[in-house]
Amino acid sequence: MVVLRAGLCPGLTEEMIQLLRANDIRTVVDFVSSDLEDVAQKCSLSYKVLVAVRRVLLAQFSAFPANGADLYEELKSSTAILPTGSPSLDQLLDSGLYTGEVTELMGAPGSGKTQVCLGIAGSVSLGLKQHVLFLDSTGGFTASRLYQMLRARAEDEEEQLEALQRIQVVRVFDVYEMLSALQELRDRLSQQVVSSAGPFKIVVIDSVSAVIYPLLGGKQSEGLAIMMQLARELKTLAREFSLAVVVTNQVTRDSSTGPLKPALGRSWSFVPSTRVLLESKEAAWEKATTQRIASLAKSPRQVRLPRPVPLVMDKQLCDLELASEQREGPGGRAGSGLTG
Amino acid sequence: MQRDLGSLPLAPALRARLVAAGFQTVQELLETGPCGLSKEIGISKEEALEALQVVRQECHGDAARTAGGSGATRKCTALELLEEEQAQGFIITFCSALDNILGGGVQLTKITEICGAPGVGKTQLCMQLAVDVQIPECFGGVAGEAVFIDTEGSFMVDRVVDIATACVQHCQLIAEAHQEEDNLKALETFSLESILSHIYYFRCRDYTELLAQVYLLPDFLSEHSKVRLVVVDGIAFPFRHDFEDLSLRTRLLNGLAQQLIIVANDHKSALQEGKEHSSTFRLGSAIGLAAESVPSLLP
Repeated sequence: MVVLRAGLCPGLTEEMIQLLRANDIRTVVDFVSSDLEDVAQKCSLSYKVLVAVRRVLLAQFSAFPANGADLYEELKSSTAILPTGSPSLDQLLDSGLYTGEVTELMGAPGSGKTQVCLGIAGSVSLGLKQHVLFLDSTGGFTASRLYQMLRARAEDEEEQLEALQRIQVVRVFDVYEMLSALQELRDRLSQQVVSSAGPFKIVVIDSVSAVIYPLLGGKQSEGLAIMMQLARELKTLAREFSLAVVVTNQVTRDSSTGPLKPALGRSWSFVPSTRVLLESKEAAWEKATTQRIASLAKSPRQVRLPRPVPLVMDKQLCDLELASEQREGPGGRAGSGLTG
Repeated sequence: MQRDLGSLPLAPALRARLVAAGFQTVQELLETGPCGLSKEIGISKEEALEALQVVRQECHGDAARTAGGSGATRKCTALELLEEEQAQGFIITFCSALDNILGGGVQLTKITEICGAPGVGKTQLCMQLAVDVQIPECFGGVAGEAVFIDTEGSFMVDRVVDIATACVQHCQLIAEAHQEEDNLKALETFSLESILSHIYYFRCRDYTELLAQVYLLPDFLSEHSKVRLVVVDGIAFPFRHDFEDLSLRTRLLNGLAQQLIIVANDHKSALQEGKEHSSTFRLGSAIGLAAESVPSLLP
């Protein structure tokens, strides 16, 4: 629905636009779909000029069909699979996070979403030496916890510090700030010459529901519109620049005893291609640990398993959780729910 | 500059008109100018000018950020954040078991929630924290001021006097034991009167007042830059009764939560623009909450 303007393409002059407008042709769609002989007669313009202008406009504004085989080849060469830092989660996701797709982690508060996001950021930055963009909208990003995870994985302090430097954290607490941050990312990536060699390979957004929830519901549909705007931005970023996008979402219940379902409603459910539900099961007290269970709620590749997979984080992470338990001593019992 | 119009904070009616007229990106809008714009979509020239100003501000903000300028959403690497966190202080609670669980005390720039059944001691803990945040740095405190937002009316000044007197005595004992210059100097300004005068008390009787107070908080905090603790005692209380529209309640609570997170974080970044050393200024928040309905209030 682009408005016809002078200079939109060579040959489209101001007088032409005025004449076209007088005959009710204001946008590119109107122009391209009208009968040019008719227009030439009514506006007394040259038919050849109109045809030339139409050709240029079509080339500029239409979408081109792509051959399936070419698309497949392109995907094979540009898609990467990024490890999440947890072997069992990688297995659940069919070996890791795919670039070009949006993956969603959903769970109740305290189920481990931010921890998994930190693990992913650490693993991509340390293991693959790629840059990570972390959009934090809840204030839950704790650099000291990330540092703890990195220390467990790499011995060399230089490596750890370099890995920390590759993770960029942007604090956005409002949906417009989030859209600005994504726009800025898009500008930065499009300035790179070759898109697949861009600096960022993964964008982690924790969380998307925190910024959208205050806008949804009620009689106004603005919240839904802005949510879909965000969804479109995320999907196009993932596809155009071969990024893996990880978002976190909350869960709600229909009634106090109903099953858990993801927040943000049906419209959002079409956005991520993969959805993982995180739950925490209170293990027996003698173990003094809380087990996290991850189950696949939606996947384009995997068959949904009938029973969920227990999420065993890297051994180092488990050890770290136990270590902090031991430090607390007798006060530790009450505190075990807060660690991890 | 190819930013889509839908991602800008424009009024819905204006946005609908722009879309109907065929405008899609920011570029097209800026090229048209206010006169052209008012003619195209049929609004007055003042409105067109206002709209263009909003758009320019957003895009200027974008450009400034790409150029590495500082804005409200300042970017930093995880390494810089780590250094800031390690230099941060905690607000101690004077209960060693609680301090252990929290990893040193109540953390600054984060929201801490205290839930419990009525009578278990939430307001007491909040009052203790409002006094503890004022402990001078030489005694291990953060030397800040406190804002106390009370929705239940359970703030007892005489109890705060008891707590403050005990705190001052405790610091005096430490100063006598160690006999250091800084300690004695700090004690001159750390007295009952100064503690009480640095607790800013607000009483909110219903949810509208609470929301208004929280949204006005950033302005208050920029005037009182030494505030390091904001206590909201009874965040669920005004929302529990007489709320027929549950989705509105969820929306309001979420908006409130985001606003509080902004307050906890933004204050730091606003000050960082003026000051070199970011380590001296932090803001912490603690929220006391009534427990029973917490699960139903969280989305």
